[in-house]
Amino acid sequence: MFVTEIRRLSLTPPPPPTEERGALGWLLHLLGGPKPALTEQVGVADRLQPPFAALAEALPNPILVVSATDPEELANRRYVYANRAARDLLRLSQDGGLLVQAIRDPEVLEAADQALFGAIEAECLYEIPGAQPRTLRVQARPLPPTADGAYQALVVLYDETELRQAERTRADFLANASHELRTPLASLLGFIETLRGHARQDETARERFLGIMQAQAERMSRLIDDLMSLSRIELNEHVAPAAAVDLALAVRDAADAAAPLAQARSVVLAPDLPPAGSALVVGDRDQLVQVAQNLIDNAIKYSATGGQVQVSVRVGLTAAQAAAGERTVAARLSLLSPDRTEPAYAVLSVADTGAGMAREHLPRLTERFYRVEGQKSGERLGTGLGLAIVKHIVNRHRGGLMVESAEGQGTTFTAYFPLKT
Amino acid sequence: MNEHIVRSYDEELNTLSAECARMGGLTESQVADAITAVVKRNQDLAAAVVGRDDKLDLAEREIEKKAIRLIALRQPMADDLRRTVAAMKVANNLERVGDLAKNIAKRTLVIIESDPLTPLTRSIERMGKLVLTRLTSVLDAYSRSDLERALAVWSQDDEVDEHYNSLFRELVTYMMGDPRTITACAHMLFVAKNLERIGDHATNIAEIVHYQVTGAEMIDARPKTDGLTG
Repeated sequence: MFVTEIRRLSLTPPPPPTEERGALGWLLHLLGGPKPALTEQVGVADRLQPPFAALAEALPNPILVVSATDPEELANRRYVYANRAARDLLRLSQDGGLLVQAIRDPEVLEAADQALFGAIEAECLYEIPGAQPRTLRVQARPLPPTADGAYQALVVLYDETELRQAERTRADFLANASHELRTPLASLLGFIETLRGHARQDETARERFLGIMQAQAERMSRLIDDLMSLSRIELNEHVAPAAAVDLALAVRDAADAAAPLAQARSVVLAPDLPPAGSALVVGDRDQLVQVAQNLIDNAIKYSATGGQVQVSVRVGLTAAQAAAGERTVAARLSLLSPDRTEPAYAVLSVADTGAGMAREHLPRLTERFYRVEGQKSGERLGTGLGLAIVKHIVNRHRGGLMVESAEGQGTTFTAYFPLKT
Repeated sequence: MNEHIVRSYDEELNTLSAECARMGGLTESQVADAITAVVKRNQDLAAAVVGRDDKLDLAEREIEKKAIRLIALRQPMADDLRRTVAAMKVANNLERVGDLAKNIAKRTLVIIESDPLTPLTRSIERMGKLVLTRLTSVLDAYSRSDLERALAVWSQDDEVDEHYNSLFRELVTYMMGDPRTITACAHMLFVAKNLERIGDHATNIAEIVHYQVTGAEMIDARPKTDGLTG
């Protein structure tokens, strides 16, 4: 097969590149060739010679070839080719269409116009809102017109999401850390001062103070761990995981890890899991364990002594079924819903029999450091970041998160993840 | 050759949809910029949003004129008629969204004069992101005639309402705690209300997409939560 491929290549030698631009220069050159009438909806890729069609298709950067005949007429600006990356990003079909239906952003349209009609290179930033917002740098480059006189331009998009996110995460991290660490730090300093001062000779006070100081120091360390892991997750949030993970096994691990805590608080932990191998989701194993762990830990912490925490994994539900919830009488709110719904999901629910929460608290649950007034998570204070971490992980997995709560009856969290197809 | 003088009916319909999509893009960036302006306290950006609103009014009039012309001259039927009517209705909703964005920008100019209300601004930012995501989703659904996506937007309206109710509480708590913040908070309250109404317009557009694709009105009542308790 390889030999025939080579023979075919030698039969149709590719034309030389017009300028030293690497792969893109070649592509530019190739796309400048004769093209069919605008009404003919054929992707440019079909007209490229074998290795180059694949090359354009395989480029990691989204690229579009746009064409137009009349600057006054909006509806004749079309994209005649979009490579795989562009089709995935902008959800386009393979056979071309109106440019404005692919990208509506006024600045991008302006840049494309400049390249098409002004034959100038233009550049702008393009932000796509959504559950996983993207920031892209758009470069529009003029291409030679076709034989029948249609203007052409190449639009290349560079993903700068990570760069922007890194800047933002750093700012957030500093703001949060400096604010939240100040309280335990002030308390540590206070105790140190007392220990050096009038409590210097007091044996019992010393023991007690050291205990408190240790708890505060541990809290600071947990806080830093959580802030770091939140930052890490946020940086990768727009990159969906690719591995196949058994959600049931991940939940089993988290439940096992939480068993000592449940025992200490006399809470019954009742996992109801499907057989191994049936709940395969597209995911990152460690992160899925973390989701289950945070939800189960919360449920145990907010349970009364002797309460029960039910953990279940169900397989094969649609997004609407997963978001429908389990409780009949409860305030219900979707904390996160996926942008694109997949046909089937694996659904993790964690239900407690604790005090529950009033409806007005629900929208703010995944806010960092938000605390429901009057609720205590016990002597082992949480960091206030657990649910924020859960939300960001679920979002990275293109899943959804639901909460239902009824005062006096308890709370159920439901996270759902697309099944591996 | 007279192809430039007598354009095809199809082309006219396409132009109408294309202009609606472009108007959608303009509206999205107005809303996005208005939110950024209020969150980052950016005076220049707020002024720019106020200044750009004329473009949207113009676009709406243009779309309406073209739609009426098309109905008068071509007498579209069935699908084509629905597409034409839908374009008019979408343009109408977008123009309203543009007005709300302009109002947010105008209030931003006043809010900037008081001290920053950092935690509140974060809540506004969250709500703004949610509303913008819905607007983008529904405009994507419109330009791709994607019924499923439109329905998803339509059924999730209560999320925005919940955010609004929770923000309302937060604002009231703030104002009670420190009366000096009342001016800024009152404007913030309207900013939140405007965002909530932009969310409602997104729901309207979802209904229009449903009408355009299926020809049927949406009959089922939306899952509505009792927004005024407490």
